[in-house]
Amino acid sequence: MAPSGLRRANDPPLLILVSLADGPKHGHALAKDIEDFAGVKLGPGTLYGAITRLVERGLIEPLGGDDRRRPYRITPPGSAALAAALADLRRVTSAGLARLGLDPA
Amino acid sequence: MKPAGLLRWYPRAWRERYGEELLALIQDTLDEGRPTWRLRLGVAWGGLRERAHQAGRAVRAAVKRGAGPDLWAMMLVAGTIVAQLPENLSESPPPARGWQAVAAFDAVLAAVALTGAVVLAGGLVALPALVRFLRTGGWPKIRRRVGWAAGATVAAGGGLAGLALAGGSRSPAQLDASWAYLAGFLATGLVVAVAIGRWAIAAEATARHLTLDPRLRTAQLMLVAVTPATVTVVLVALNLWWSVTQSPAWLVAVPVFLGSASVSAWLRIRRAARKGRRLRAAARTGR
Repeated sequence: MAPSGLRRANDPPLLILVSLADGPKHGHALAKDIEDFAGVKLGPGTLYGAITRLVERGLIEPLGGDDRRRPYRITPPGSAALAAALADLRRVTSAGLARLGLDPA
Repeated sequence: MKPAGLLRWYPRAWRERYGEELLALIQDTLDEGRPTWRLRLGVAWGGLRERAHQAGRAVRAAVKRGAGPDLWAMMLVAGTIVAQLPENLSESPPPARGWQAVAAFDAVLAAVALTGAVVLAGGLVALPALVRFLRTGGWPKIRRRVGWAAGATVAAGGGLAGLALAGGSRSPAQLDASWAYLAGFLATGLVVAVAIGRWAIAAEATARHLTLDPRLRTAQLMLVAVTPATVTVVLVALNLWWSVTQSPAWLVAVPVFLGSASVSAWLRIRRAARKGRRLRAAARTGR
């Protein structure tokens, strides 16, 4: 089981961590990026609910600057939690693909 | 509704920290358009979830502070009352044990009076500081919380009046068989609990603005610590009364109440004494 409650591929906190893995982003940039790479459209309420929980758990942190479009970045514990969650997902994905006979390996 | 109005769904502390960011995101998402119903519902749901999250955190903090036994005892007594009302009011004690029921009931009244006196004393101690606070323009700082508490009190009064009207012409047995009465009773109990909670929040918020002399502050801390003990006396006496009028099985609850309340009261009084000593020491150092 992945730590920090990151369980499903479409969990908003997991999607936010993935989006921040390549650099800091503010709310609107996060929503656009997540829609681009995952096809999931997060509403403002859902996005900021997830951001609040991630900040509380120390997995992401705000950067200084514009108060209205404050960027966030992933923290080292956030990177570790994301890596663990993705490893879990990869294990499940590999098992599923292998059982379907679709695993290239 | 303007986007800014959507923030009302969120707790104040959250709005202060994230409100402007959320508004910016909504504006970026809308791109000059008006918020759709889907977006409004999403934001409202997010706000309610945030309020629920904060409430959960407050309960966890209360349990951590040592309020657990009190909460547990309150829940137990609420369940007891719901299970027993209204038929217990129609029961008479056996003639040989009538004096025990009278003594227990008198103890309930005495403990209620003592609790009221303690709460009143706590209020009187803080009254001069409250008057100073209000005279120096403090009312706007507490108006919203007092308004919520007053509104909840009016709702609770309405609920109690409705119960009295609904139950006035029916016997306890008829009331006991009525699901509608039970639902009304539970709903009213909930509203009464909310009203008490809102007054507690308003009082706590007001107290944060008051400047009290360290000795008065210590006295108030001790009064606050003693109050749960008097409430426990009420619970114990009620159980004794029920044990006489209903069944001796109610005596089982007495040691439970006494045990949980003794631990809680001891911890509260010790914490109050320690805090009082710190306050007085800080005041001496300041002088």
